[in-house]
Amino acid sequence: MALDAESVPMRWPAGPLDIARGEKQKGFTAETAAVLRQWLDPASLAVVQGSPVNCLVVSWASGLPADAAQQQALKPLIEKGKQAGLGFVGLIEGEANKPAALAAAQATGLSAVAMDGAQPLSAGIPVIPWNKSAQTRGAANSPILGISDGVWPGVSTAPPPAGGPTTLPWIDSNGSLLLIARALAPDKSVWIGFDPPAQAKLTPEAYMLAVADSASYGARWAISLDDPLRADLSARKQPAVDTWKKVTDTLTFFQQHKQARTYQPAGVLAVISSFAGPDWEAGRDALNTLARLRQPFRVIARSRAAGASLAGLKAIYYVDPEAPDAALRQKLMAFANGGGALFVPSKWPNPEGQPVKAEPYLLFNVRAVGKGRLAVCKEERPDAYLAAADVQVIMSHRNDILRLYSASSANGFYQTSAQGGQGVIHLLNYACRPGSDGPLFYVRDTYKSARLVSPELASASALKLDPQAEGGAEVFLPRLSVYGAIELEK
Amino acid sequence: MIQDLTRRELLAGAGALLARPVLSRAATAPTGRVTVAKCKTYGPELVPTLGKMFDELGGLGRLVKGKTVALKVNFIGVRWQRLDGAKMEDTFWSHPRMIGATVHFLGLAGARRIRVLEGSWSSAEPLEELMLSQNWRPQDILNAAPNVEFENTNYLGTGKKYSRFMVPGGGLIYPGYDLNHSYEDCDVFISLAKLKEHAAAGFTMSMKNVYGATPPTIYGTGAGVDEPSIRPHGSRGLFHSAFRLPSKSAPQQKDMTLPTEPGYRLPRIVAEICAARPVHLAIIEGIHAATGAETNYGGSRPQAAVQPGVLIAGTNCVATDAVGLSAIGYNPMADRGTAPFATADNTLHLAEDLGVGVRDLSRNEIVGTPIKDVVFSYGAVRDRILAAQKKG
Repeated sequence: MALDAESVPMRWPAGPLDIARGEKQKGFTAETAAVLRQWLDPASLAVVQGSPVNCLVVSWASGLPADAAQQQALKPLIEKGKQAGLGFVGLIEGEANKPAALAAAQATGLSAVAMDGAQPLSAGIPVIPWNKSAQTRGAANSPILGISDGVWPGVSTAPPPAGGPTTLPWIDSNGSLLLIARALAPDKSVWIGFDPPAQAKLTPEAYMLAVADSASYGARWAISLDDPLRADLSARKQPAVDTWKKVTDTLTFFQQHKQARTYQPAGVLAVISSFAGPDWEAGRDALNTLARLRQPFRVIARSRAAGASLAGLKAIYYVDPEAPDAALRQKLMAFANGGGALFVPSKWPNPEGQPVKAEPYLLFNVRAVGKGRLAVCKEERPDAYLAAADVQVIMSHRNDILRLYSASSANGFYQTSAQGGQGVIHLLNYACRPGSDGPLFYVRDTYKSARLVSPELASASALKLDPQAEGGAEVFLPRLSVYGAIELEK
Repeated sequence: MIQDLTRRELLAGAGALLARPVLSRAATAPTGRVTVAKCKTYGPELVPTLGKMFDELGGLGRLVKGKTVALKVNFIGVRWQRLDGAKMEDTFWSHPRMIGATVHFLGLAGARRIRVLEGSWSSAEPLEELMLSQNWRPQDILNAAPNVEFENTNYLGTGKKYSRFMVPGGGLIYPGYDLNHSYEDCDVFISLAKLKEHAAAGFTMSMKNVYGATPPTIYGTGAGVDEPSIRPHGSRGLFHSAFRLPSKSAPQQKDMTLPTEPGYRLPRIVAEICAARPVHLAIIEGIHAATGAETNYGGSRPQAAVQPGVLIAGTNCVATDAVGLSAIGYNPMADRGTAPFATADNTLHLAEDLGVGVRDLSRNEIVGTPIKDVVFSYGAVRDRILAAQKKG
């Protein structure tokens, strides 16, 4: 089965290689080993039968003696799965003999392999780049781009960034990584891999969020279940069966609302970075903090900035510490001269324009250029949160296109269709339980109708758009545990 | 009976004795005139009602003509959290129409310059931005009178240095406070507050509003250790529990053995700030407001958006807050152990001891609508919520 945008992947740990690797881990139990053997049995495929999952990601090679046995042991499972219409992707990791693993994958009839590092020139089989987010790259022969180091989404237990917010809890989300991947490789479908946190007792809602956090940003989570859940699922025990149903219902929901995957992030602010090498952290942190400041933004990869449309933007945040090449600088300055606000790093030789008065605490020196403004950062390595907060202030809330109230553990993500006639606002509740009040969005664009869809609701429900004196409208939502989307029509 | 007291209560009591001024200034505390009016909406009735109230206080002209006026408003409360779906101005924040109407009358009365001040939470954002984030029109306030300005007083702002305000008599906890220059660079200081309760201090009205003048650059959880930080970080938590010191550049706590419980500290800090930075005109807006508090610590004070429909203004902040407390169904003469001072000392009592004003309503001049006609019991609202919660 060839992979495409409709492929729904699931990590399928099974067989001698996963057992061998597990045995090197502390706390690996005989029960877990038994489940790994059980999931090698073609009968175990009943778990995904009738579900949206149509592609299993299996461990294929990792440089251990068990590699060959693994590939041999998987054959019956793969054969049966292929007959059932499933695709298989072999994960090649670590010190694996990549040419041998590729050859074996081709011989076995895998749909693709996923591996990190440099892509082989002629593999004879699609190769999904499966790299850490800092090394995201596409591959010519694969419609899929993989990210191997996603985070389990939720309210963070780690302390917030040094300059972080005091009124909103910090959250872990893959949204920014996925937007970066889409900006770097807009023609690819993005898969992201992350495992349940060790020893955590995860609720069904936590799994729903793991699906929704990726899907709302147009990507696929390579579903990965924790050991106890897999064991109970194999034994058809409750509540594991119900949890799995919630996962598959959420997948089905996003299949039914896949139109949003063609929409583009809405925002009057664009963030430009190479999102690679020494620029990686600054770019990622800027997006993460802007998202937490509820500042909608578009992402432009620096490599594509020369050809990118700046239409509809009011501000551009050029994050990379080094100034861009002359051509891009010229384009950015034309944007500022035309009335936009341009935020640039401290290394911006001979800044254009004249200084203007600004709040003294700001991390940026603001200069008047043409009809717009150039804001030059005062520090070489500014605190990401403070810099993003100052970008938001200098841009002004006057330009807000979306606001979210009464949902401190949630993020909103706003997308619009190519012609702007439709919009969708995703609400992701990282607390995985309803708040005391229902969330409320303010949306600046004018829409005629709004409806709420959610895997938590039996059917769509109309929402009232409450027009505001200053333009735009407010929309109240009912209390949701994990996810809902407002579908908007002009 | 003493054997019923906890060790903490004993310490608090001992601390209270230690920290009370050696010579109470209560006997010489000024009384005030307070006016009360019903006002159900922010519509056409607001301006004439407020104008009549100012007339009942003797007119604003004698107070503000030719003067620079600092108007401290209240934007405390998490701006992205709406109680019962109500807008911030309908629960915890000063309402823009109330601010605009007050500015309008200050302008009419001949104020030379009107500076609208606030230090909202721990943000350094310009006040215009806070307003815009709630879909307000800042220009409506700026255009309500000539020479109107905004300043966020959470940090140094446009000043060169912080201004020091010493507490007459030496203070109860701190001998003085360092504030943004705006609180010194004014001839008249007005506190425009909301009719609110407070989880730790019992109530938040014109006096507690002034607490928000303290900059988190000095008094915030992330304040500078030696010098104030450039920008504010974190809330004013050290006032609640003394878990850290203010920046060393500011006056330090007099006695480090004093109790650290919020119910002991906050009322004293509020009282002494109001002694150090006197309020010339106190206004409490309770047209729409909220019961409970901006933050509901542990759910002990169930919150609700309410519409008491009342305005209160007075020439003395203690007297005005005493009327405000009465208007929401509490006794301003109550002390620790009685609502709303279940776990706190009474700020009004402490302020009276500091000579700020008199809390006994019978000693102040109350004009306008009788208090009994405007009472809106916040305690009854809380009881209803608790009963409903109990019912399930």
